[in-house]
Amino acid sequence: MMQSVSGLAAAAVHGIDFELSNLCLGYGGKLALRGVSGQFAAGSMTAIVGPNGGGKSTLLKGLLGQLAPMQGSLRCRYPRAALGYLAQACEVERDFPISVEDFVSMGLWAQTGALGAVSDAQRAQISMALATVGLQGWQPRWIAELSGGQFQRMRFARLWVQNPPVILLDEPFTGVDEPSIDVLLQLLQQWHTRGRTVLAVLHDREMVEAFFPQALALAGTQLAWGASADVLPSLAARAGARRRA
Amino acid sequence: MSNFYLNRRALLGLALTSALPVGSVWAAGQPLPVVASFSILQDLTRQVGGDRVSVSALVGPDGDAHVFEPTPQQARQLQQAKVLVANGLDFEGWLPRLKKASGFQGQEIVASQGIAVRTLPKGQGHDHGHDHGAGKEGHDHDHDHDHDHDHDHGHHHGPNDPHAWQDVKNAIVYVRNIAKGLAKADPANAAQYDKQATQYIARLTALDASLRQRFAALPAERRSVVSTHDAFGYFAQAYGLRFVPVRGLSTESEPSARDLAALVKQVRAERIGAIFLENISDPRLLEQLARETGAAIGGRLYSDALSPDGGPASTYVDMVETNAATLLKALQAR
Amino acid sequence: MIAELLWQPFVDYGFMRRALAGCLALSAGAAPLGTILLLRRMSLVGDAMSHAILPGAALGYLLFGLSLPAMTIGGLAAGLIVAMLSGVVTRYTALREDASFAGFYLISLALGVLLISLRGSNVDLLHVLFGSVLALDDPTLYLTATIASLSMLGLALVYRPLLMECLDPGFLRLQGPMGSISHALFMLLLVLNLVGGFHSLGTLMAVALVVLPAASARFWLRGVGLQMALSTAIAMAGSLLGLLLSYHAGIAASAAITLSLGCLYLLSLCLGRLGSVRAQRQRPANDSVSEPMGVSE
Repeated sequence: MMQSVSGLAAAAVHGIDFELSNLCLGYGGKLALRGVSGQFAAGSMTAIVGPNGGGKSTLLKGLLGQLAPMQGSLRCRYPRAALGYLAQACEVERDFPISVEDFVSMGLWAQTGALGAVSDAQRAQISMALATVGLQGWQPRWIAELSGGQFQRMRFARLWVQNPPVILLDEPFTGVDEPSIDVLLQLLQQWHTRGRTVLAVLHDREMVEAFFPQALALAGTQLAWGASADVLPSLAARAGARRRA
Repeated sequence: MSNFYLNRRALLGLALTSALPVGSVWAAGQPLPVVASFSILQDLTRQVGGDRVSVSALVGPDGDAHVFEPTPQQARQLQQAKVLVANGLDFEGWLPRLKKASGFQGQEIVASQGIAVRTLPKGQGHDHGHDHGAGKEGHDHDHDHDHDHDHDHGHHHGPNDPHAWQDVKNAIVYVRNIAKGLAKADPANAAQYDKQATQYIARLTALDASLRQRFAALPAERRSVVSTHDAFGYFAQAYGLRFVPVRGLSTESEPSARDLAALVKQVRAERIGAIFLENISDPRLLEQLARETGAAIGGRLYSDALSPDGGPASTYVDMVETNAATLLKALQAR
Repeated sequence: MIAELLWQPFVDYGFMRRALAGCLALSAGAAPLGTILLLRRMSLVGDAMSHAILPGAALGYLLFGLSLPAMTIGGLAAGLIVAMLSGVVTRYTALREDASFAGFYLISLALGVLLISLRGSNVDLLHVLFGSVLALDDPTLYLTATIASLSMLGLALVYRPLLMECLDPGFLRLQGPMGSISHALFMLLLVLNLVGGFHSLGTLMAVALVVLPAASARFWLRGVGLQMALSTAIAMAGSLLGLLLSYHAGIAASAAITLSLGCLYLLSLCLGRLGSVRAQRQRPANDSVSEPMGVSE
């Protein structure tokens, strides 16, 4: 994650969280994404869309600093640990013997560290987070008891408690039941209204149109970046052209 | 003319007879080739024979006569020897076969001839890797059977204890037998053998007296020693010690708490002063025993072989002295 | 009568008391690690690691005889080297952790056997493998106790990140290097306990104290912390039972301890409350999870 002093100052002045300049990312020498340039403004809510294998997850990983740019540059306003991230493939051990409350308390890591105790105030925070996602009263239950949708909601609760300035989500609604999706979309909107920057990789065009003011279309390279009303049609056109060809 | 012939015959006769003294001197100059069955006998024979004999040992220093396997070279060595010095009392179980295989034609000296033989008491601790019950052991080993445990004490004697040399008085008998035997095989040097034997016997007599005196000075309750080795029966008998055998504790495998407890109990009950357990190779176990019972841990005892040259027991006299010193040190320590 | 069976041996004989003290200390250090190993699906790593430390201990033995510091340091070094090398291989090559570890521990084990056969006899190899819990002297006891204390302390320090790394490694990775640091520290603690255990119980049996109690505890309690506490208790109970078995029935001590632990494991497997044979047969068809419990920690 490259941060120059001047870049930081500039970003703070202009409220820019990420500045990308011809960013190229890849794995093991092979390019997966090329030529992405633009900015994510502070407080923006952007959906990242595009066909499968188009480099959407790759971009997120680059933004998080898990992939170093192969070419081009990427400037981020915040240290990596301050970013909130919801990964796509769930690496979580579903039947790990831990309670819901303890899982959510992981979001407080930055404050508690390895040894710090969870204070009453923090437990209240956890309680509120669980209430926000509709899991109130689930604190003492084992995470193995949660359904798929409930599990995802719990992960959101953890992000809520973490309260980062930027939240990156990689296909957060895949395989989640409708009621849960509604709850979580509301949460995203709450974050947006509170001035958090939200980036989400999504497949559902209608959802993007309805909830996300900004969009970035990727298909191995940058197709369009701007208001979702403008970006989505270009994506549809490209898909239509492909079908006809 | 007859004078000339006579002269020539006389000359020839003279020439021939003059070869005799040279020949006999030359023959007398070659030392007598002797083979001793093991290193202790080798040393005793050397003491008696001096430079008149060339003694080699089949089982060398630090060797184990019980599990010895002779090589073809040694068979040849035996064939070329004129005298064989063996212990007897079934100590060398492999010797009869070797003699037959090598075609040995010389004279055999049984060194232990004439000593007062000691029998092994029933239930004497034989240190094999099993837990024998008391009293059954004497019967188990009346026959010669091959132990292929990988430990180094496959005692399978008959009921007789062959380690007679541990009593210095018996060693004197050994020396006399050896001297007699050498004199018979090599009469030309009989006087020398006799003289050297007498000198050596005097040394041994002094050694014996010294040992008796030193061990007599021990108080009665500090005369018991635990040992897994049953080779010191004659020594114990001669110098007033008691070698208590230990049962059950085997060498390679791990001891059980029961076996260890039994040993501790035994040591405590019989108020044994020193423990010599050569074949428990974990020194920490020995220390544990010493700590628990208050007995002293003994050093190394030499029983069936001398140490190599330069070691503390490279001759018979040294061996006896070293053993005595080790035992005394352990028993006197507190 | 009961007293005679249970307490008398320890009252009468110092070596029994020391053996028990050593085993209790070892249990306190090793058993909680076993719970973590189980959670991270690394149970066999424990066994493999106990073999990996062999050449280090053998080298210490060759150079310095049956010396405590030499064999300890040697064993530690060997274990850590194997752990490090397998970590590097996992990171930079196509092999995953299990295969890379397997490769290195096998090489290590062979080296150990070779080194011992160079100078020692088979007897020495057996001692190294099987130890002598009845022969614990003061330095060994102190070492075991120190390792246990360090172990518990270290575990307390890395408990949270260790669990997190097991539960959700992606999340932890974002927070910083805590994940890999805590993993490294955990491996260090494991090697330390195995080295400490190998002086008393031998390499083969030391790992029994790590794995069997933890596997048993799994069938009784859900929460991680509670499992750790229970596995410690089981390890101690197994040690006590094993020593008594060795005393009354004349079985070799470390084998008796391992067998006792094994019996406790089988009992738990069949009769335990959670996920055991009995529990699986009793549960209704659509209930896949046990009843909820109070907050775990």
